[in-house]
Amino acid sequence: MAQIENEIKQLKDEVVNMWMLVRSQLHKAKTAIVNFDKDIAREVVVREKRVNGYELKIDRDCENLFALRTPVAVDLRFVLAILKINNNLERIGDIAEGISKLVIYAELPFSEELLVRSNVLDMLDVCFSILDDALSAFENENTILARSIFKRDEFLNEINIQLIRFTKEYFAEKPEEIDATLYIFSIIRKVERIGDQVKNIAEEIIFYIEAKVLKHHYKND
Amino acid sequence: MESTIIKTVNYNSYFGDNHVVKNVNIEIPHNNVIAIMGPSGCGKTTFLRGINRMHELIPGAHANGQVLLNGEDVMQLHPIMVRLKIGMVFQRPNPFPNLSIYDNVVAGYKLNGIKLPKSERDQIVEESLTKVALWKEVKDSLNKKGTFLSGGQQQRLCIARAVAMQPEVLLFDEPTSALDPISTSTVEELFIELKNNYTLIIVTHNMQQAARVSDKTAFFYMGELVEYDETKQMFTNPTDQRTQNYITGRFS
Amino acid sequence: MIVMDMNANLKWRIGKSKMAQYFIVGLAFLCLIPLALVLFYIFKKGIGSINWHFLSSEQMSGGIWNGILGTLIIVPVSALIAIPIGIMGGIYLSEYKQQKFAIWVSTCVDIIQGIPSIVLGIIGYLWLVLPMHGQHSALSGSVALAVMMLPIIIRSTEETLKLIPDTLKEASYALGVPFQRTMWKVIVPCGFNGIISGIMLGVSRISGEAAPLLFTAFGNPFVQNNIFKEMGSLPLIIVDASRNPSPETQAQAWGTSLILLVIIFVLNILTKLLTSRWKVQL
Repeated sequence: MAQIENEIKQLKDEVVNMWMLVRSQLHKAKTAIVNFDKDIAREVVVREKRVNGYELKIDRDCENLFALRTPVAVDLRFVLAILKINNNLERIGDIAEGISKLVIYAELPFSEELLVRSNVLDMLDVCFSILDDALSAFENENTILARSIFKRDEFLNEINIQLIRFTKEYFAEKPEEIDATLYIFSIIRKVERIGDQVKNIAEEIIFYIEAKVLKHHYKND
Repeated sequence: MESTIIKTVNYNSYFGDNHVVKNVNIEIPHNNVIAIMGPSGCGKTTFLRGINRMHELIPGAHANGQVLLNGEDVMQLHPIMVRLKIGMVFQRPNPFPNLSIYDNVVAGYKLNGIKLPKSERDQIVEESLTKVALWKEVKDSLNKKGTFLSGGQQQRLCIARAVAMQPEVLLFDEPTSALDPISTSTVEELFIELKNNYTLIIVTHNMQQAARVSDKTAFFYMGELVEYDETKQMFTNPTDQRTQNYITGRFS
Repeated sequence: MIVMDMNANLKWRIGKSKMAQYFIVGLAFLCLIPLALVLFYIFKKGIGSINWHFLSSEQMSGGIWNGILGTLIIVPVSALIAIPIGIMGGIYLSEYKQQKFAIWVSTCVDIIQGIPSIVLGIIGYLWLVLPMHGQHSALSGSVALAVMMLPIIIRSTEETLKLIPDTLKEASYALGVPFQRTMWKVIVPCGFNGIISGIMLGVSRISGEAAPLLFTAFGNPFVQNNIFKEMGSLPLIIVDASRNPSPETQAQAWGTSLILLVIIFVLNILTKLLTSRWKVQL
């Protein structure tokens, strides 16, 4: 096996590990919201350092690969994609940390009705689904799966667009929950950005496998 | 739309019964640098040597098909005529050790008995050496023998010697494999300059060199022309899996 | 333990190497001794005879002028015959080494090299003396000497040309230069040193040969410069003079030997000068 093949495999494994870590962070953040568990939220904040550590290491490994192996064609596209995916994953980690911090700052738990009507939990479930699918698409080089992510991201965008209207409505009905409502507002904003990041990851996967650039211009297949 | 200067049609090359170059059809545009790469024994050097009819000098070697230089079939011309129009530079620098630098540059004329007036000869020597960025370095020692130059300078002298014959096409057979990295860079810079006036076809083992200097690249494998495309395309997204395997080092 | 063994082993090997070195150098010296002795002896014995009279008068009068002149005619004529044929032969053998005919030629060259010089003389007699009704001639002697010189020139030319890298030929062909011009204007000039050395070697060799001349040039005590008639030469004088026991002729023989040595010495120096000036670094 060529040297470069080994190194690419190692890089791939590292990215998958980071992916799993970020997913677990997100999962914990959701649990923190549902159970209003500040301890779990604090765990997420502490673990964020590990996510950053992964990002630095993967960046460095990519740099070394460029310098020492001069990758071309598919190898080149792969390393370029990894650099960007690395970045996207780190931001998702940041968002999970941000969500957890909001739970820590909140004084009162969020009501069941608020959680359901805001769709925040549904949004998080969609995030898990597209994050998992993106990982599967990455591991199995499945561009069809990658393309399916774009449509589901639409759902997240829709909720986000309706957010201000929802907030005004809910506030009018339940003014006593204004604090919680505002926290959920911020959380939903953040969750929508997760969708954007995963969408970018999907674009990078398609680029590396098909050498097609879908940035700033994509079709919903 | 660039005009084609060399076009081969169903070109095949043999060593005795050994079919070494198989049915190559390629069109090479004017004033371009074309790199030919491929693993050892893929036929790239044999193909190159077929273009200026050097291939048939080896006992038992023969070829068929057409090689059109500006529409004229080189295979039908006398080999000597062909070599006056298509120059060649080899892997090991080979200036004539019994001739001075000056005489080396005009060796093509001298050895062929073509008499030129001194002023014209002087001009050819100066122009050719300037084209290969050697004039300033050797203009005061033109009478010295060529073999006292460094490897990189010798190779540039050989290029000057080829250029002095005012060919249309220059063939290079792994021109920098015997040179150190700095000389290699100097020669590669020359390629960029030379392509303004000539068309260059370079056989190279060094993929990065092909990537650095060429406009189009041809990939040969087991005697066949597997892929031929813009260099940028070849190195970011080649069409054939064999090409990709080669350039990513999955097999050398 | 291992380190100690290695040291002892190493010392033994260094010692062995040094001994071999001394042995080789010693043997080399041994080779020089006969040469030195010969040179010294001939010089000692011959120097007494050398004077202007010796060099300028004819054999009968105790001089060797006829021999000097004879050698100066026979050897160059022989060279004139052997050199072109020898160089061409060498070129042929180096260029066409695979062909069947070339293998035959190469074998013949080896055979000629092995023919005793006296036999060459007899052959010269048969070819050029008998058909001329027994008329001895310097020309026949030159021919016999030429045949003797031929293998030397052919082999050294062949070996020299083989050493020249093929890349030079390729460079020449790539410039559109045809085969003959490539040979004469590139390859042979590059091999000039080796070819000249070979020629000089051949000439030095035959300058001192007497046997091929015995039946051909035959020898002539008088000065004579017609190549179609008998002619003397220095080696022949040595043969004649050394047979005669009288002290004057003995001295004549020694003196001639010295002169011959000087001539060969001068030829060698000339060769060295020529080849060093024409150095072609491949």
